[in-house]
Amino acid sequence: MTVKEAAAALQLSLLCGDDSREITGVYVGDLLSRCMSRVEEGDLWITIMANINAVAVAALTDPALIVFCEDVEIGDDVLAKASENGIAIARSAQDAYALCVAYASIGGAAS
Amino acid sequence: MDELSLYVLDITMNSVRAGADAISVTICEEGDWLDFTVTDNGCGMTEEQVKKLTDPFFTTRKTRKVGLGIPFLTMLAEMTGGFVRITSTHESVSDDHGTTTHARFGRNHIDFIPLGDMIETVLTLIQGSPDINFTYTHKTDGGTVYLSCAELREILEDVPLNEPEVLAWIRENLREQYDAASAS
Repeated sequence: MTVKEAAAALQLSLLCGDDSREITGVYVGDLLSRCMSRVEEGDLWITIMANINAVAVAALTDPALIVFCEDVEIGDDVLAKASENGIAIARSAQDAYALCVAYASIGGAAS
Repeated sequence: MDELSLYVLDITMNSVRAGADAISVTICEEGDWLDFTVTDNGCGMTEEQVKKLTDPFFTTRKTRKVGLGIPFLTMLAEMTGGFVRITSTHESVSDDHGTTTHARFGRNHIDFIPLGDMIETVLTLIQGSPDINFTYTHKTDGGTVYLSCAELREILEDVPLNEPEVLAWIRENLREQYDAASAS
């Protein structure tokens, strides 16, 4: 499933990045030092940590899409850095559990 | 990195890489705060370099692997109502060069992560860099734990500090000091 298809099915608002990438796995986490070693290339990474450090973690780990859930506030600096580094970001009002359930129900799977 | 001791180790390893031969690590737990301060006499940083420390992209872009140490530490400290302050004098500016990193955490804040095992952290440092004079001070509510590699060296003379017997003695000595501090 591509970022675009997942965004449509999960009612995500895509804010920046390439929506044609294939999502190959899922990771949920907020403790960035942990995420740095656990997010995998091509992942859908769901987190509430909408800051510049999360974008830096994504630059290292290369997920297909970061979803900032629970409608957390996303600063302009975050989107600017993400665009600059080609990282796709989306926002959702739902929490991580609801997003995972919805993603699984449309056939998405963790790697 | 879900214990502060790992950040203490990370910051202190920066001092080692900066060529310091004397590094002091001080932890102070008092009232609502836990403060840790690492002071070294290494090569120091320019003002420009210090400014870039909090930008994860400057460093990640250069090395792709490291460089999130200070941004993560700053985030953790600020999440608990604290801060990270770094002051540095580069060797090109003064003979009295080096870096001081001071991190403050609200230790009663719900997002505070535990300090972790400082004894093993200190041993890791001494084992890895036996020629550096580490000074370790931990002030707790019950008392102060203190270790000085320079003082140990005076007693041990030519015996390297990373000899297994010496490390075992340091571990035991720190353990006794911590036990005394928690008993009072």
